[in-house]
Amino acid sequence: MNFSGIIAACLAGAAALKAVYDVATPSVVPLLPPGAKPDGGFASLCVKCGKCIEACPYQALHAAGAEAGAFAGAPCIDAREQACRLCADFPCIKACPTGALEDVASKADVRMGVAVINEETCLSFQGMRCEVCYRVCPLIDEAITIDYRKREGDSLHALFAPIIDEERCVGCGLCVERCVVSDPAPAIRIKPMNEE
Amino acid sequence: MEISRRLFVKTTAVALASAAAAGTMSTMMGCSSGEVAPADGGTTTKTLAVCRFCGCGCGVIVESKDGKLISVTGDPDNGSNRGLNCVKGYYLVGALTGEDRLTKPLVREDKNLKGTMEGFREATWEEALDLVASKLRETWKNDKSRLAFWGSGQQPIVEGYCQAKFWKAGLLSNNIDPNARLCMASAVVGFMNVFQTDEPAGCYADIDETDVFVTWGANMAEAHPMLYSRLTARKLDNPDVLHYDLTTLVTRTSATATKVLRFNPGADLAIANAIANYIVSNKLYDEAFVNDHLQFKQGTENIGNATADDYDVTEPGNTVDATTSITLEEYAARLAPYTFEYASEISGVPAADIEELAKVFADPNKKVLSLWTMGVNQHNRGTWMNHCIYNIHLLTGKYAMPGNGAFSLTGQPTACGTAREVGTFCHRLPADLVVANEAHRRYSEAVWNLPEGYLDAIQKPGFHTVKMFRELSKGNIDFLWSAHNNWAVSMPNLTRFLGRGDKQGIFDAFICVSEVYPTLSTAYADVVLPAAMWVEREGAFGNGERRTAIFEKAIDPPGEAKWDLWMLMEIAKRVLEGETIDGVDAFDHLFGFIYDKEAGDFLGDQRETCRTAWEEYRTFSNPWLNERANAINESAGLKMDAKQLAPYDVYLEKHGLLWPVREVEGEWLETSWRFCDGEQADGFDQVGVATHGSQDLAKGISFYKSANQRPSVVFRPWEPPAETPSEEYPFWFCTGRLLEHWHTGSMTRRVAELDRALPEALLDMNPADCEKLGVVDGDMVRVKSRFGEVEIKVSTAGRTQPPEGLVFAPFFAEETLVNLAVQDTYCPLSKEPDFKKTTVSIEKI
Repeated sequence: MNFSGIIAACLAGAAALKAVYDVATPSVVPLLPPGAKPDGGFASLCVKCGKCIEACPYQALHAAGAEAGAFAGAPCIDAREQACRLCADFPCIKACPTGALEDVASKADVRMGVAVINEETCLSFQGMRCEVCYRVCPLIDEAITIDYRKREGDSLHALFAPIIDEERCVGCGLCVERCVVSDPAPAIRIKPMNEE
Repeated sequence: MEISRRLFVKTTAVALASAAAAGTMSTMMGCSSGEVAPADGGTTTKTLAVCRFCGCGCGVIVESKDGKLISVTGDPDNGSNRGLNCVKGYYLVGALTGEDRLTKPLVREDKNLKGTMEGFREATWEEALDLVASKLRETWKNDKSRLAFWGSGQQPIVEGYCQAKFWKAGLLSNNIDPNARLCMASAVVGFMNVFQTDEPAGCYADIDETDVFVTWGANMAEAHPMLYSRLTARKLDNPDVLHYDLTTLVTRTSATATKVLRFNPGADLAIANAIANYIVSNKLYDEAFVNDHLQFKQGTENIGNATADDYDVTEPGNTVDATTSITLEEYAARLAPYTFEYASEISGVPAADIEELAKVFADPNKKVLSLWTMGVNQHNRGTWMNHCIYNIHLLTGKYAMPGNGAFSLTGQPTACGTAREVGTFCHRLPADLVVANEAHRRYSEAVWNLPEGYLDAIQKPGFHTVKMFRELSKGNIDFLWSAHNNWAVSMPNLTRFLGRGDKQGIFDAFICVSEVYPTLSTAYADVVLPAAMWVEREGAFGNGERRTAIFEKAIDPPGEAKWDLWMLMEIAKRVLEGETIDGVDAFDHLFGFIYDKEAGDFLGDQRETCRTAWEEYRTFSNPWLNERANAINESAGLKMDAKQLAPYDVYLEKHGLLWPVREVEGEWLETSWRFCDGEQADGFDQVGVATHGSQDLAKGISFYKSANQRPSVVFRPWEPPAETPSEEYPFWFCTGRLLEHWHTGSMTRRVAELDRALPEALLDMNPADCEKLGVVDGDMVRVKSRFGEVEIKVSTAGRTQPPEGLVFAPFFAEETLVNLAVQDTYCPLSKEPDFKKTTVSIEKI
């Protein structure tokens, strides 16, 4: 068995363990709202009532489609369309009647996922002065920092490389919403909390 | 083969880099456009250009195919950026292709709908030009003081030159001023007062050589992206290189500084004086430099603030320029009160930090480069603050040498090249000449072949920008024409100027706006003239480091959009119909050398037109090209060749050059370091020093443009801002620029990628202030000053981090028109408004 086969087997095993709440393995793991209970807690508690969706002042939440498997109908975020703006009072969490979304102390404590940069398509990694993701980050200088590097073959300019701190990134997705690259995809994506 | 844009750009960049390495780029780019076969077949054309946006003036290569732009990439042969761009430059193509480009002349049918883009109908060029020209001519004949042109640091050089010639020599009017008045007038007056020449002595290459960067009121990381990349590279190469950031709020520039000196608004004057005091009182100045090069002065003080309309004509408004000579000892005595402790008390910066910076300046072994932008220039004492920075650099002999300099960074692509060098200001003539100086008028008459004394009619300066709009608001301007700017967003005190208060003059005046997109300014127009944009015609820009660079025409403009120079010719010929100068038809006298008015077209193609107009403009700095001018230059000692420009085509061959450009053994060589003796071929001012200066003075410098060859150290005290926070208006309101949107966003907001990256203007606030006011991130608030109010969304995300009591917002968004609340109080010397220190109240909506 090759390496990816092993990974696939592990994934399959993990999925089987979660079978209690995960009746159908989603083909696309959705980005869940802030405060979503980890480790399957959200899936077992969310009754798909849509109250959080109604409460979101930015219309960032919508019901996940069939491609989300068991999460179909549950609230999720398409960060490219509208990221979570990490409201100070988290109206989505307040609106949740079941505790599927549980209180968070502050925006820094949210754990929706982690941003991942595609260094092949990111303009900043090509030496362009862009760093849009860094400047829009609500946790600027914490979740995203700049690694200043010498630019290869250029004695005059530096490379401003955006670096994600996986411990501190909350996964709100504002960097994805604002990324200037779109062909073929944004140069940054959120790996959702529950994505393996 | 389908090729993705990214791959294409990458391939192109590699190809360009290889071409540059092989030395073939200049040949390929030369005067005629290069043709290359792309991977997907067909033929693309590569043309030379300069970025449309900021004052960095990055060179770019434009690739077009079948009349459409394909890509814009950095020009590796342009000395200002060496092939690299920021995200704005990368997406430049999109700036030309917005869906709402203006493609037909518009004439307003319904005056009641002024302020909106409703009430217009499409018109022919003939009708629109006839209407504009008849209104201008009518106003001109009735009362010349009631007409005005508001230009720009974006108006290409040749167009600005012809505009100034038409206005000053054709209409004999000085009511012409550029939007550069809003961004660098204080730097200009500083240069003129200190050096008697309007130019930075250094260049961008100073960044590569200095030991210490000092940024004063400059968010360079955002406003000058490529130069900040260069600054960062210098620090990476040399970990000992220091960066002190002096600012009123923490910015992205502060984020990488070695030390941040965050001062209370307006206190920069006290800090600079404390540094000078330390240097002088401890005799740490460069004695030989002081003895050989400097003179000392003081000027009018307690000058109040230019808030009232009549400030300029009151006491002390009309004596603000006066200075008297003092001795070094007297200068020292004036500085004496500025101890580190006193400066600390005023500024809030720890005394030890100011002392640390003072010691850096005093260290004879450290090269120091000061860089500043709007924090210094948009200041109620902007000119004074420019003085204070030069004072330190001159005292320590850290000026005009590689790595040692004081550099005012510019905001617009040709604020230097056009507004300043061509002289589209209300008090200027081309090439540093001013209307008030008799010899300068004689010289201009000679170049323009006017009868002697002809320009005496314009010896009194016209309306500066703020005065122009104040008069407009009062109903004292009947005709306003604007081009290459967006005054309805960028002017301060818009509540007054847009007629949202009690002054309604804007609705009565006839306003013509030349534009490429609908803007808030076109909404107030009576006629909108659709303009060709950037590489839809040929032009040239002059950037912040004295670099003149040409952008070639790459594609045709859309629809009926036309070259601004053609509009100017067509309006000028109508207005001057039947007029004569020295017995000759006035239009032909002024512009017959490039334009056939009967045919309604230029005599040559765009290249030839630009070249011919450039050659006349170049006569100002090459006096020997005109016998009459040459004689005046000699007899009046004008040293006009000190700013010598090269023939037009040389700029194409060399991808831009820093003036003065000298012909040495048949080759045109640029000058990187002014007044610094050394080999011309190495970028030093060998020819200038040999012609006008003195050799063997301290540090090999010769300030040959300055009176008595001595720049002035002028004592300028700390005086408080025009307004200080009060119970009614407890916050400082500071406005500025952010990276994604250039100025008012009229172009960058049409670029989908940039609009996505920064779609809205936010008010950055300190979290403690938010808590006090009961507002949170995302709340809407009303920001109110005694000038007006604006509603805006609060952010505590931290892109800028204001201290308690200060808030910041960018000015690019017309739907969040921050200038409704910004004061139009200006520096009494430069007449540049202070956009940084309006006091406001903030309330949750």
